[in-house]
Amino acid sequence: MSSRNFISLCRRKPSVFSRAFATVTESSSTPTQYPIPPQNARVKPKLLTSIILNRAPILTPTPTPFERAYYAYQARLRRALFNPFPYDFYFKQGSILEHRFTLEERKRERIAFGREFGVADELDKEKAAANKAAVEQLAEQEGESEEMMPRIHPSDDARDYKSLDRKGKRNLYLLLQENEGIWRFPEGIVKKGELLHQAAQRDLLAECGEYMDTWIVSRNPIGHYRPPKKAPSSSKPQPEEVAFFYKAHIMAGQARPNPETVKDFAWLTKQEIESRVPEYYWHGIKDMLSEH
Amino acid sequence: MSSILLPNSKRVVATSTVHFQIRCYARKESGMDPKKETIRRALYPSNIRNKPTPTGTWRPDVEKALQHAIPSVQAHDTIDRAWLLHKRHIRKRREAETERKFESMRKAMDELASIDSHLYMEANKPENPRARSPEEVDLLKTLKASEARASDARIRGLFPRELRVPTDTPSRTGWKYDWKPFYRPL
Repeated sequence: MSSRNFISLCRRKPSVFSRAFATVTESSSTPTQYPIPPQNARVKPKLLTSIILNRAPILTPTPTPFERAYYAYQARLRRALFNPFPYDFYFKQGSILEHRFTLEERKRERIAFGREFGVADELDKEKAAANKAAVEQLAEQEGESEEMMPRIHPSDDARDYKSLDRKGKRNLYLLLQENEGIWRFPEGIVKKGELLHQAAQRDLLAECGEYMDTWIVSRNPIGHYRPPKKAPSSSKPQPEEVAFFYKAHIMAGQARPNPETVKDFAWLTKQEIESRVPEYYWHGIKDMLSEH
Repeated sequence: MSSILLPNSKRVVATSTVHFQIRCYARKESGMDPKKETIRRALYPSNIRNKPTPTGTWRPDVEKALQHAIPSVQAHDTIDRAWLLHKRHIRKRREAETERKFESMRKAMDELASIDSHLYMEANKPENPRARSPEEVDLLKTLKASEARASDARIRGLFPRELRVPTDTPSRTGWKYDWKPFYRPL
């Protein structure tokens, strides 16, 4: 997005963005019971950057039963309407591969349309039996086809929250546990003269180690969070803190968090994050994370 | 639908119920090499345009096959509408999520603008994919050729090559946990 467009967009009234959908599945609720700290224009708040490190899905989503039924239906329709396959162009007449193709095709026809289809008009039963035997021999010679890896990884069953192979279909996010026990995203302070996205990169390396191949998506923050205002213990006014979140992707490696500040880490889905993180923090971050 | 497929259409004589011969324009020449014959038949389809399909033929039992494939016209329409509705649900959910994310981004930028205008302007600057920061230029001079290429390959503002497309089954080796750190200047 060019800077001019973005600035002009931001200057427009917020009502432009609140379109009413015909079917809105969820409405994001803001917690009205939590106090919103007033913006103090005189004192600049302390800036923090936080990283939402995302492991993108490794696996494609599983089709639902309805989707599978629909795809099978469409396949049957195509099979009924398409030109007959030019088998004689692709297979040599009388070869074993042709026999194999014929057998498999007859099976597919029976599955698609019913028992009346895919019936071989075999004039010579002995010849048919000989062909079938030849095909079976070919299958034995070729050996078994390569086994595919299962979609569910052992770390799924073991509930190993540090594993990056867990939950292949979902988006996983890195969450750190502080020494006090609170779960949060990796964060750090913005130094003077530094830009926000540079601070984000530096904080990520400092808190989570450099043994990860990460990529911060953009210079723009994707969200912000103001911690709830604590009651001032001393007469000195505490400067407010604002944390700006940056999205990053991990492509390889594993987190090795700094043991001084961080006790534990975990790679979690959005629902798992909700159960671990404090409630006010959750309302601040939930809009930035992917549902799936 | 079955009206189009009345028995008026020329049916090809099938040598067997499984394999269907294709009527071709090119005449069958005697004493032709069978391989060449099949190629000719594939290259020169029938000239008789009495069917909607360009290569000139349906399968011989197309009406029977269709009757087995489609339960009824009303059922087919219902299935179509159900599919479109399903796709609509998915689309609306995705659009709502994108809307929430964009709102969050917009509010963050508004907040940043009110806090610090310099950082705000810097955050809005477009990334120049050809630009090299001074630290990068200095670093490139010290690196080996292969490492310099690796450093150059990560272009700012573009998606990195290592971001994998989701697949149906995971790779045999799984996630690459041992990755050697490669320094890239901020």
